[in-house]
Amino acid sequence: MHTYDEKKKKQPQQRPLLLNRYEKGELLGVGNFACVYHARHISTGDEVAIKVVEKSKIFKSELSKEHIEREIAVLYRLRHPNIVRLFEVMASKTKIYIVMEYVRGGDLLHKLSTDGALSEAVGRKFFQQLISAVKFCHARGVYHRDIKLENLLVDEKGDLKLSDFGLSAVAEQKRAAALFSTMCGTPAYVAPELLAHRAYDAARADVWSCGVVLFGLQAGYLPFRDINGKAMGHRIRKGEVRYPKSFSSDLTGLLHRIFVPDPTKRITISEIMETSWFRKDFREVKLYDRCSSLDNIEYEHTPGSSFDSSPAARRLTKLNAFDIISFSPWLKLSGMFEDGGCERWYTSSAEVLEIVSRLEEIAGSVGFTVQTKDFVVSIEGREKEEEEPLWIVVEVSELTPDVAVIVATKKGGDREEYEEFCNNKLSPGLQSLKGNTSLENAACGVH
Amino acid sequence: MGCIPTKLAKHTPGYEDPTVLASETSFSVCEVEALYELFKKLSHSIFKDGLIHKEEFQLALFKNSKRKNLFADRIFDLFDIKRNGVIEFGEFVRSLNVFHPDTPTEEKIAFAFKLYDLRHTGYIERDELKEMVLALLDESGLHLSDDVVEVIVEKTFSQADSKGDGRIDPDEWKEFVSQNPALLKNMTLPYLKDMTMVFPSFVVNSELDEEDL
Repeated sequence: MHTYDEKKKKQPQQRPLLLNRYEKGELLGVGNFACVYHARHISTGDEVAIKVVEKSKIFKSELSKEHIEREIAVLYRLRHPNIVRLFEVMASKTKIYIVMEYVRGGDLLHKLSTDGALSEAVGRKFFQQLISAVKFCHARGVYHRDIKLENLLVDEKGDLKLSDFGLSAVAEQKRAAALFSTMCGTPAYVAPELLAHRAYDAARADVWSCGVVLFGLQAGYLPFRDINGKAMGHRIRKGEVRYPKSFSSDLTGLLHRIFVPDPTKRITISEIMETSWFRKDFREVKLYDRCSSLDNIEYEHTPGSSFDSSPAARRLTKLNAFDIISFSPWLKLSGMFEDGGCERWYTSSAEVLEIVSRLEEIAGSVGFTVQTKDFVVSIEGREKEEEEPLWIVVEVSELTPDVAVIVATKKGGDREEYEEFCNNKLSPGLQSLKGNTSLENAACGVH
Repeated sequence: MGCIPTKLAKHTPGYEDPTVLASETSFSVCEVEALYELFKKLSHSIFKDGLIHKEEFQLALFKNSKRKNLFADRIFDLFDIKRNGVIEFGEFVRSLNVFHPDTPTEEKIAFAFKLYDLRHTGYIERDELKEMVLALLDESGLHLSDDVVEVIVEKTFSQADSKGDGRIDPDEWKEFVSQNPALLKNMTLPYLKDMTMVFPSFVVNSELDEEDL
């Protein structure tokens, strides 16, 4: 059933096409478990990088199958402008192909070796982007554990992309073992607690590596150099760093708080983000992490304009009977794919504009961020250290001239927090509107 | 095609070759293999025979095999192309294909029409529309007075039934949908493009030869 001799005969080998979609190009790099090729999508022309992994090699190395599955699923959720994006995964009997964003500009180690140390402004920008990406990962329980200049790519716009998550994360246990038993890797980025072979807090170890990267960007060389393994280990354990005179005192001050051997006393990601050195020219990254589901709703936030513009000009969706039917989550096969969103529906006889302003008040009262476009209100919870913030999109539509329907959909964040917000804030807030407001249903896909 | 008997035993009667399914649908062969991981899970949740029974479908949607719902029933009936009471793998993939972002709109329009033609008369009738609106209101606990429901159904029907013969035929439906494209929103699940990352266990189980990629 699964040999296709006839087909092979019919199609003589032309160009090596993968999945009838990708034209495989030159070899970009070779690692322990994988080779990376440049490739091009034949219909869109998009360039991608494809990591080819030999199944026999990874399964030989104690890596469990579940581990690889989990890692792919985790990477899939890491959509951040400073993280190399995963597009799709392919597999044959013998190989796994991981299709990722192709980043043209090469890695930061290469950049340093050609350009030398970077200016403080440029180094700061890369560091800010790195910290944004790392914070994003940590919030999702993902720890890179192999942050180094070679894994930081730069795109044509000069923006940083954190890469090599997949395999370094997949291969993490194996790699760590290799690193410390044989010293075959470059331990220059490794935090002292890892040298001690003790259980360690991966988030704090990532901070250390970020410090090594920052030092490298600004000095043009690494703080712990591999002249002699033993001496280097000693200096890492003591957090002994000699700062070049060219470093500003703010920069040295920040690095000094990173290179603290005791991980519990080391500065954290959020503390780094509060320092004045970091904050300079810092532009908060707008996360498009969950925008894929929002393709048909655009948000153009023009401050202060939401209520000044003439209400007549704003588009109010008028629902017909089929629209009502299509509210049924079961028509969307909700539940089958485990990403079931949560929705709540309300009807109200209040004025639609009044409803929109009430929604904005409710969100404002708990300090959430509100953006309104026409009759769509996007509500975002506060940024959180460990989790994705809550994100709810509420759409107000007209059912009849006297009845409006309000649909509140969870687009991101924790389900319990969503329920709590709906029960304690949204429902009472809407129910206190003039006119009858009724609500009931909450349809939630079960995770 | 050469078959290795031991391999055959791994699959259940409704199994179809992923390369064939991929050639007939918008899914790639890897995406079909990823969907097979989902299918295995759904089709083994109760009866473990590699076919999705109604109860298993309800369990997947509602997390409750006993719960019934008009719309879930309709979806099940349409997925069960052979109308033998179970969804086979091939039926599963071909039906989900309707929801694929790359599938032509015509197919989506036709599927939606069949969905709403509750009694398979070839027309969507007024009482069917009302029945579905009432079912949705009931399932969601929204309270609307009978008068309001009547007004909504009447208004929608008069817009869609352009020939005024009291029923909506496929041409009228097509016309109505083209004026109200939001009605097809349900018929596209962007998520279907991500199947290989959502069900990555296929990478371990893949039976594809290198040449078939």
